[in-house]
Amino acid sequence: MRSTIRKTMTHVSPMAVAAVLAFGAPAAANDQLVELAKDPANWVMTGRDYNAQNYSEMTEINKENVKDLRPAWSFSTGVLHGHEGTPLVVGDKMFVHSPFPNTTFALDLNDPGTILWQNKPRQNPTARTVACCDVVNRGLAYWPGDDTRGPLVFRTQLDGHIVAMDAETGEDVWIMENSDIKVGSTLTIAPYVIKDMVLVGSSGAELGVRGYVTAYDVKTGEQRWRAFATGPDEELKLASDFNEPNPHYGQFNLGTDTWEGDAWKIGGGTNWGWYAYDPEVDLFYYGSGNPAPWNETMRPGDNKWTMAIWGREATTGEAKFAYQKTPHDEWDYAGVNVMMLSEQEDKDGNMRKLLTHPDRNGIVYTLDRTNGDLISADKMDDTVNWVKEVQLDTGLPVRDPEFGTRMDHKARDICPSAMGYHNQGHDSYDPERKLFMLGINHICMDWEPFMLPYRAGQFFVGATLDMYPGPKGDRQNGLGLGQIKAYNAITGEMAWEKMERFAVWGGTMATAGGLTFYGTLDGYLKARDSDTGDLLWKHKLPSGVVGHPMTYQHDGRQYVAIYYGVGGWPGVGLVFDLNDPTAGLGSVGAFRRLKEFTQMGGGVMVFSLNGDSVYTDDVNTGEWIPGDDA
Amino acid sequence: MKLIALGIVAAMSLAAPALAYDGTNCRAPGNCWEPKPDYPERVEGSEYDPQHDPAELSKQGESLAVMDNRNAWRVWHMAQTGSFEYDVTKIPGYEEGGTPPAQ
Repeated sequence: MRSTIRKTMTHVSPMAVAAVLAFGAPAAANDQLVELAKDPANWVMTGRDYNAQNYSEMTEINKENVKDLRPAWSFSTGVLHGHEGTPLVVGDKMFVHSPFPNTTFALDLNDPGTILWQNKPRQNPTARTVACCDVVNRGLAYWPGDDTRGPLVFRTQLDGHIVAMDAETGEDVWIMENSDIKVGSTLTIAPYVIKDMVLVGSSGAELGVRGYVTAYDVKTGEQRWRAFATGPDEELKLASDFNEPNPHYGQFNLGTDTWEGDAWKIGGGTNWGWYAYDPEVDLFYYGSGNPAPWNETMRPGDNKWTMAIWGREATTGEAKFAYQKTPHDEWDYAGVNVMMLSEQEDKDGNMRKLLTHPDRNGIVYTLDRTNGDLISADKMDDTVNWVKEVQLDTGLPVRDPEFGTRMDHKARDICPSAMGYHNQGHDSYDPERKLFMLGINHICMDWEPFMLPYRAGQFFVGATLDMYPGPKGDRQNGLGLGQIKAYNAITGEMAWEKMERFAVWGGTMATAGGLTFYGTLDGYLKARDSDTGDLLWKHKLPSGVVGHPMTYQHDGRQYVAIYYGVGGWPGVGLVFDLNDPTAGLGSVGAFRRLKEFTQMGGGVMVFSLNGDSVYTDDVNTGEWIPGDDA
Repeated sequence: MKLIALGIVAAMSLAAPALAYDGTNCRAPGNCWEPKPDYPERVEGSEYDPQHDPAELSKQGESLAVMDNRNAWRVWHMAQTGSFEYDVTKIPGYEEGGTPPAQ
């Protein structure tokens, strides 16, 4: 890797002082992350805190003054392609990541025009050829350090490596191999820190990769445990009381018994989405993805435990529960989406620890996260048609055979499409309003399977797809591919909903200022009234958005930041200049109009009220003074 | 809670067969797949047999084992020397597939 260190900080904010004071204290790193996240000035992990709510208590920017939001500063990553995820802010530093080649930057918020350090890995370019859906990366993880080791920043690389970097210098501390591109396995997931471990998922189900999650020691890189999504129970790391509260979900031996022969060895179930964690019960949560291949006829069985919501004990990796949302998937409804944690009263008035998950299959699931009980399962949109309902007592989806897929048959008008009514976007929860702000796709499809052999490292999909706007969009003109909605998980009602020109791919952020922010594929950062959904403000960015917004505070001022850089699965037609509507696993046709609204780019755009920043506070900030070395 | 759940399991096992695959006719808890009309219960030997090559199916597991082994050497070397070396061939004593000496 090439690492350059620009300069050290000359100004230390109160927040940074607090962080330094915390450093070296006897509190565990886990607790330090919790404490850092309590300060709304910080954004210490992809979902802001372990609850993954993407919610900020800050109110400086609010409904009344959001019209005055203006660009404060910006930063180009120097990389094109899809910029998913969001930057992190800890104290006076912003940590920025990029798609392949996965360059990492640390910026000095006292003078954001200064790059404190950058770390650009040298990767095998072959990694690009085995990535299914552009060359995206979803972000970084931060470990605050302890009394023997300073803070670390973690990065995954498309070529399958997990890297620990010194947060102060950007120097590599260790690099481990997690995924082998020669067998089609890549990494796009944001790493996730729990205690003194960093968790890493896996990508490559479109190449038949058997999914797994691995925990590494943050200081040494030593593997603590690894748990697979398919196969024998001991490799799944099932606890002895696995699914005991809900035996109807299934319990033991199903990771092999629900597959024919050894098909589980190439059965997919990778996890490349997001994690959440409840320190009180030491359980972390994530979703396993689609079974491989997409052609369902080639893999009889329920294909467990692909498509599952997992609750695993962080210390041991043991699974306490798993709930399979889409048994025997026939549509690529990869179940990796965000898990948002909340505490709410259920319909009977009992306070519950909840997990809410908007799935690709068009259903929003809410579970009791302590035991996996299914509490609600509501359609994100009334146009979902593959399933009639989800039985809350059995957990089973009642499929509509009319929209099933099979060999020698072209299934038509299936809603949602393989992209799901919700994909990788990291959404938000507003605890004051008890509303989940959902960025939604409104895309349906035709699906025709075909047979193909498995060859390690080659694509293993077996279906041709045509995608187009859902019934509420404009199919003739290829627009109306997205929605934004506010969902109450207890009542099952949508407080409001609005249509969008394209999919709301990147996710949302809610604030106590009564605002819901999100970026659009055609390149707008928008702010809506969280109570009504009314559009209050927007700004056109240099390129489309596939990441989620964040907010931080520096020197007492609130900022809102978001990556721009169109790409990801919906952008593959644009970024690779493809025209066959079935190319890009069907996305090229669905997003054929995107190039009329935006083009490639890559960077961070930061906003504040009136555009105020360190540069308007003092126009001399960042000026070169003769004799300075920076 | 457990009694309710067991009741659900019993009810599921008594479910009547669906006319077409709707996913609710379970042979056991968590095992509810059934072939669609005119499609085989098992694909091996049928016109939909993917004819998997066992050697290809084993490659992922073999690759993981090799990567884990190299990682173990890297961890061992850093514990011994305090410095990290990615290129395992530069680690004194490294032997492909061998186990690092006890710490």
